[in-house]
Amino acid sequence: MTRLGADRMLELAEAALAVDGVDEVEALLLRGSGGLTRFAGNRIHQSTATEDLEVRVRAVVDGNRVGVASTHDASPTGARQTAARAREVAHAIPPDPGYPGMPGPAAYPDAGRYDEATAATAPAERAELIAGVIERLPDGVTAAGTLETGELEVAVANSRGVRGAYATTRATFSILADAGSGTGYAEAVEPALAELPVDALGGRAAEKAVASRDPRDLQPGAYPVILEPAAVATMIEFLGYLGFGAKAYHEGRSFLTGRLGSQVADPSVTILDDGLAPDTIGAPFDFEGVPKQVVTLIDRGVAANLLYDWRSAEEHGRQPTGHGLPAPSSEGAYPLNLTMRPGGRSAADLAAGLERGLLVTRFHYTNVVHPMETSITGMTRDGTFLVEDGKIVGGVKNLRFTQSILGALSAVRGISRETELIGEGSFTTVRCPTLSIASFNFSSATTF
Amino acid sequence: MEPADLAGLALDAATGDGAGYADVRYVEGRSEAITVQDERVEDLESGSTRGVGVRVLVDGCWGFAATAVLDEASLAATGKLAVEIARAAARLQNERVRLAPVEPVVGTWATPVGQDPFDMPLDDKIALLLAATEAQRSVPGLAYAQASLDLFRRRSVFVSSEGARIDQTVTQTGAGIEAVATGDGDLQRRTWPNSFRGQYEGGGWEAVLAMDLVSNGPRIAREAVELLAAPELPERTTTVILDGQQLALQVHESVGHALELDRIFGMEAGYAGTSFVAPDQRGKLRYGSELMSVTVDSTTPRGMGTFGYDDEGVPAQRTPAIVDGVLAGFLTSRETAAVLGEASNGTTRADGWGNLPLIRMTNVNLEPRQGRLEELIADTDDGVLLTTNKSWSIDDKRINFQFATEVAWEIRHGRLGRMFKNPTYDGRTTRFWGSMDAVCGPQDWKVWGTPNCGKGQPGQIARVSHGVAPARFRNVHVGVRA
Repeated sequence: MTRLGADRMLELAEAALAVDGVDEVEALLLRGSGGLTRFAGNRIHQSTATEDLEVRVRAVVDGNRVGVASTHDASPTGARQTAARAREVAHAIPPDPGYPGMPGPAAYPDAGRYDEATAATAPAERAELIAGVIERLPDGVTAAGTLETGELEVAVANSRGVRGAYATTRATFSILADAGSGTGYAEAVEPALAELPVDALGGRAAEKAVASRDPRDLQPGAYPVILEPAAVATMIEFLGYLGFGAKAYHEGRSFLTGRLGSQVADPSVTILDDGLAPDTIGAPFDFEGVPKQVVTLIDRGVAANLLYDWRSAEEHGRQPTGHGLPAPSSEGAYPLNLTMRPGGRSAADLAAGLERGLLVTRFHYTNVVHPMETSITGMTRDGTFLVEDGKIVGGVKNLRFTQSILGALSAVRGISRETELIGEGSFTTVRCPTLSIASFNFSSATTF
Repeated sequence: MEPADLAGLALDAATGDGAGYADVRYVEGRSEAITVQDERVEDLESGSTRGVGVRVLVDGCWGFAATAVLDEASLAATGKLAVEIARAAARLQNERVRLAPVEPVVGTWATPVGQDPFDMPLDDKIALLLAATEAQRSVPGLAYAQASLDLFRRRSVFVSSEGARIDQTVTQTGAGIEAVATGDGDLQRRTWPNSFRGQYEGGGWEAVLAMDLVSNGPRIAREAVELLAAPELPERTTTVILDGQQLALQVHESVGHALELDRIFGMEAGYAGTSFVAPDQRGKLRYGSELMSVTVDSTTPRGMGTFGYDDEGVPAQRTPAIVDGVLAGFLTSRETAAVLGEASNGTTRADGWGNLPLIRMTNVNLEPRQGRLEELIADTDDGVLLTTNKSWSIDDKRINFQFATEVAWEIRHGRLGRMFKNPTYDGRTTRFWGSMDAVCGPQDWKVWGTPNCGKGQPGQIARVSHGVAPARFRNVHVGVRA
């Protein structure tokens, strides 16, 4: 489980680039290594470690026939064979008149953090940290969750001279505390394990679990809500899925189609994609080797900009923003580091300002109901509370929401100054604050 | 070196280092994915993967490690790492894992394949998909048309410290078309044979040919365009008939996941959740009406959950889960079955070589009853036929659900009428299944593939199936709005 390093990653890429009989060729290498310790019922029940290196080769023949092949055989021979297979695939594909060619070399910003200690975390260290959390749980409370540590190495090289490599580390902790009739949840992701507040997260989940015991029934309907960062992250991630990319926009399947320049959310709402921020799991360039840019997508409530990969930028006469996915991608540009700007109030202040409403810790199993209306449905989970006169008066049984995201973001009446980085179990991360929303539609309820 | 020898190196390292039990899976996978949009090939990727996963029990604790580096040193190191991980888990152990016994098998198995899809020339595949999009584009008003093809082959060689040695190859094929119409801030989709890249089966190219992608193109394109002008399904409580595609996902979410014994035991609590079902409710819990019988069947022909042996070496089998509406069984692994003092019913699978095997649905089937869909519609005075899944959501105990489908067709006096767009329905699991008063017969029973079932941490994807025939439900709430 040793870091391969930029030189060896690019050396392997060169083996793929040496393929003959092509007009252009690109090699994308993705190496992941790490361990995940999973616990449930106060015991470690599943623990894994995986090391993998994927080589993806895009080959172009006859000027505009493009084929992609991939392998997990990390030898130079494997890379060469995969390049030859990509070339074969390219020969079988009809010409693509809109193929824009590959990007050329560029200067890359400084982004992405690598922490040696996080990459080298031993299984026993993860077990010890989890045991510490479990041992501090109140009587009658058990916990389930994961602690994961790992590294990601990425290299991109192409026949036009692109040569880029970077490495990042990531530590994530999630915990669901179960106090019988109530559950609570907390999670965080950081570039370094040492910065992950494991004990505090465990304490927070346990407090929520105890406080949500014996939940009461609540009639579904529209309520003012405080959405904590994990719930907000779900909404912001779905906005990313529903179309910040130029391809989706121009195909007419983005919720922003025809709305650029329009007010789509409350003026207090600003959403950007920022893979260069030091407090995220960042990257200096995308999977095509294009430098990452910080793009403001919703600026003070106005739909402001789109994300462009190399192809969509060429098609629409724009600069690529560094949001290309690994080829082949029918999705187009995609945000991996969405960020919602913080506000000026404390999260506690937002709840204190609520006359009667709900505080929601997180959502569960959310899915799209109507993409153009940004309408989604899902359940609340692991800490749904009734707030009266600014105080939590107890837990409520979980509710199903069916709600337009832009509708909710248009009804924002407060944004916390504190933000959290959310991204447990996901390649993407979202940094977001707690929101106070004037009205949120709960369409049905469950029994717990 | 042969795959079994590579696996043997890791197995020896693990047992030599103190594993009381160990199994090793060598997996090589091959895939091909093609997406055509209008007249252009958008995606075409040929993928291959190869690696080894080592699972060990040391003093009753699990450890798992995996690598794609298949030299002698790496395999030995991976075996030892699995043991190190298991030893670390002992820091937090309140019970020892025991395994239900299984007779170690030495055997082979392969999916019956009519025509090997990997042997078909790429030109022919692309030509078929282009013809399918062209057929859709003959209908005016379409924003774009897609056609896709997905092929998977997975060879796994399983060896265990108990003496099992199993070599099996699973081949799965999927294809579909999608018509998208947009206008006035609306977007409507119609797909065939199923949504989310189509229908998937265990088998070869013959599955694609049976789908009639080209001849169905104009129809689904017309329906997508017509949906733009269709009214929204009004909110009310009514009679609902679910077609096979939607009913398959209803079984998946509200029956299959709920009966996974690891979920019931809380082992998935931190992520996907648990279940409203308790282990002691077998033979007691009324899950649905007397017409509801569900089997867990990894022998179903053409299923995506069909195999010779699961990833613990347990032979494929068919077991009852719900009989005449009453809970009869679970989906189990060797670890969870042992807690109940039973044998595993062989539902443990892993995503590739790099993941720990978990309980996964195989083919969880709603058994057919009688009659044809046409007869069921004719027998329905007032209601809607809901066709093809669009979205799904269910709570973390599998009780409250809400689904959306691509189309609702009005049923009035036994006849299909106008279409409604953006239909949704919601309910609670046992109440909903209790309201089922008709299930169509074997002639309408079909095995539908679900290629994207997520579970576990790190996240794993499984390809599973559900055999179903259309069924009718009474007093269902439809038409939820944001």
